[in-house]
Amino acid sequence: MKTPAKILAAQVSRIEESGRFYPRSEALPTWCPGCGYFGIHQGIVDCISSLGLPLHEIVTVSGIGCAGRYPFFSKTYGLHTVHGRTLPAATGIKLAKPGLTVFAIGGDGDGLAIGGGHLPHIARRNIDVNYVLFDNSIYGLTKGQPSPTSPLGSKTKASPYGTVDQPLNATLMALTYGASFVARLFAGDPKGITDALIQGVQNPGFSVFHVYTSCVTFDKTFKTWTNLKKWVHPLPAGYDPTDIHVAFDQVLKDDFSMGIIYRRKN
Amino acid sequence: MSEVDFTVEVCGMAGDGTIAAGGLINEAMSLGGFSVLGFDSYPAEIRGFGRCVTKSRIGSTDIVALGEQTHALISLNDEQSRSRAVFLDDHALVFFDSNPPSYVSEEKSLLSTLSNNVEVFGLPFGDLAVASGAARSKNLVALGGFAAVTGIDPSLFRQVILKKFKAKGDRIVDINIKSFDAGYDYALEKFHDRLKNWFAKSGTQYDSDKVMMSGNQAIGMAAIEAGLKLYFGYPITPATPIMEYLAKWLPEKGGRVVQMEDEISSIGAVLGSFYAGERAMTATSGPGFALMTELITHGVMAEIPAVIIDAQRAGPATGLPTKTEQSDLHAAVFGGPGDSARIVIAPTNVEECYYMVLKSFQLAEKYQTPVIVLTDFFLDNRVENLHTPRASDELRACWNVFPDESPGNRYLRYEDTSSGISPRAIPGMQGYNYTATGLEHTESGSPDYSSEIHTKMTEKRHRKIRNALEDLQQPTEFFSSDQLDVGVIGWGSTFGSVLEAVAKSKKNGFRVGALKITSIFPYHSDIIKAFMAKSGFVLIPELNYEGQLANLLERLNSKPVERLNLVTATPIPPSAIQKRIEELLEVGA
Repeated sequence: MKTPAKILAAQVSRIEESGRFYPRSEALPTWCPGCGYFGIHQGIVDCISSLGLPLHEIVTVSGIGCAGRYPFFSKTYGLHTVHGRTLPAATGIKLAKPGLTVFAIGGDGDGLAIGGGHLPHIARRNIDVNYVLFDNSIYGLTKGQPSPTSPLGSKTKASPYGTVDQPLNATLMALTYGASFVARLFAGDPKGITDALIQGVQNPGFSVFHVYTSCVTFDKTFKTWTNLKKWVHPLPAGYDPTDIHVAFDQVLKDDFSMGIIYRRKN
Repeated sequence: MSEVDFTVEVCGMAGDGTIAAGGLINEAMSLGGFSVLGFDSYPAEIRGFGRCVTKSRIGSTDIVALGEQTHALISLNDEQSRSRAVFLDDHALVFFDSNPPSYVSEEKSLLSTLSNNVEVFGLPFGDLAVASGAARSKNLVALGGFAAVTGIDPSLFRQVILKKFKAKGDRIVDINIKSFDAGYDYALEKFHDRLKNWFAKSGTQYDSDKVMMSGNQAIGMAAIEAGLKLYFGYPITPATPIMEYLAKWLPEKGGRVVQMEDEISSIGAVLGSFYAGERAMTATSGPGFALMTELITHGVMAEIPAVIIDAQRAGPATGLPTKTEQSDLHAAVFGGPGDSARIVIAPTNVEECYYMVLKSFQLAEKYQTPVIVLTDFFLDNRVENLHTPRASDELRACWNVFPDESPGNRYLRYEDTSSGISPRAIPGMQGYNYTATGLEHTESGSPDYSSEIHTKMTEKRHRKIRNALEDLQQPTEFFSSDQLDVGVIGWGSTFGSVLEAVAKSKKNGFRVGALKITSIFPYHSDIIKAFMAKSGFVLIPELNYEGQLANLLERLNSKPVERLNLVTATPIPPSAIQKRIEELLEVGA
């Protein structure tokens, strides 16, 4: 008889045989079916495979929340820290062993609320860490409260009359703090994530990947797949990501243009 | 005076050169072969009306505590010095400016507060300084007068002045030496019939191996000797000098100091660095330590080493930033969520600061847990002259427990071994990839919330810490005896006062002994219990309100331990402990 366990095992072995998913661990993601995080995961996995990075020379660091679980689903070395402290831990790892490739994984709550004070400082130190910010505009693992990026008026269990605080714009923050590489990406486009990561990992400084994603369980209104797919679009043709003024203009006038927003000329 | 035990204070307004003068006394007397313990107190404000006092106790035998009665007071500002009059010995000497720059009213003058037996020496500090080249060097004039009257060889001061000001150029050295000489000559001539010559025949020999060092310097030196790769910190009194010392000297050894955005990120980065296999450290004080506690428990849970210096200061919250206290013991041992046992050690003098900080890196590595070193303002900022500490290869050795060369089928990062220590792989080691986590986890590191796993892994982590006792310094007994009327247990900077008090009580004919505890957690309960059992009374003096060590150890004794708790935010005077010991015996008799 086919038990769910057997079906899963068969799927895992197929994944392993394909080789494409080699950097995935045997632990299957605990995210909800349909979650945008699967797309981001695939983007990271493909980046690691494409660059041929040895898994034992990669460390994946995270904080708390749905995104915080990421290291368990990766075959690299992992450090799952406490809420909001991803970037300091990543700083320690990278300064201790500069030869390691460090991915810092965090959600919008983890990275912009409790951990928001660390973002400017890792950026100004320009530590060579690749920060992938999973932005679904909601607190998922605590079952649906507003996050710092929730759109104005978001109704959640903790904001039954709608939020009254302005949302933060992580892409704009990363630019303002002086990150040397800033990309805005969409979880529904793993290929785009992979392409940006490949460039960002090679940037010898702090790189921010701000990824829009949907929470299929707690957000039925704003960042739904339907809406996101409707809203996102590529950066305009001929866009020059090495010009910081152009980058600011673009981010200020358009929240949904996707791609490499800024890349410091070395 | 064949046996020297002399306490001198310099007191002035911030900016008078008080701390510099005190430092020169310490250095000169150390060079003269004396044992020296110096301690400065200064205001929490940078400029303005703050009072600075330096206290130096000078002895021909070992000095372990601060002096209580002052034998000489050098007043650089009479209004500030008035408050020091109560600490003067009956026959103390007072040096003051006989022609002060600003008018001090009669009722506010220093002289009006002094008792009749005190001998006063007025020198025109400012005038002689100006005549020597700079008004600012009036503190040197004062030192000259002090040296002449007490009989200190002036060449000692000239040597240390040269050493201190050499970098500033010949002109500055000249002005300072000239000012010193002006004060010296003036006093010799003016007070020729009142010279004391106390230091003339001390019978001590200069020991060229001795160095003058503060607790914070010793900590910084030890960290460098330990091969520190990264220091992460955030400024806070009294821990900041450690960061400043390392910022200057660590880069020479290939290490780096990063001033982080707060204490949370500092400990986060220390954990990151140790996780990646390199020695790192942070130093803070109570308020910063409080911020670190969540990540400290992460270090406990994820079994990541860390070295944290908690330089205690007085009071909760902002408290008394530049005052001393021993009130973070509970926070260090118990602070943070959950059953998060970690290692806590506490040096009692400057030399131990050095050796225990070195050791803390090995303990952190072997037991894969945060190690907290508890110091305090008095221990961090006091200077002692001690034999140059030297790190042995044994103390520098790496105690990392790595997995075997050949990975088995499956590497278990949190393997439940009999010692509780699981081999720790470092990123970069092929075949051992794992995820360290603060979530409860199985032996392989997968999150698991079952009762069985939580019970088993909690027990494993505690077993590991219990086993650390074998590498932790045992309590040391002083004036050992089979039976004691009073056994005094001391820890941290207080222990010097305990030792002196017990020595004096013993001289008075009492059966007393002292036990020094440097391993605060885990602690050697058998040894402590045995000491308690043979003591009629067990007394634990501490600079905190509740008796935090007493709370921890009381359960080992058959009856309540006696406490002596002072919250004066100043070092505990030996006489207070001695008085308590003798009171206990009178009541007990």
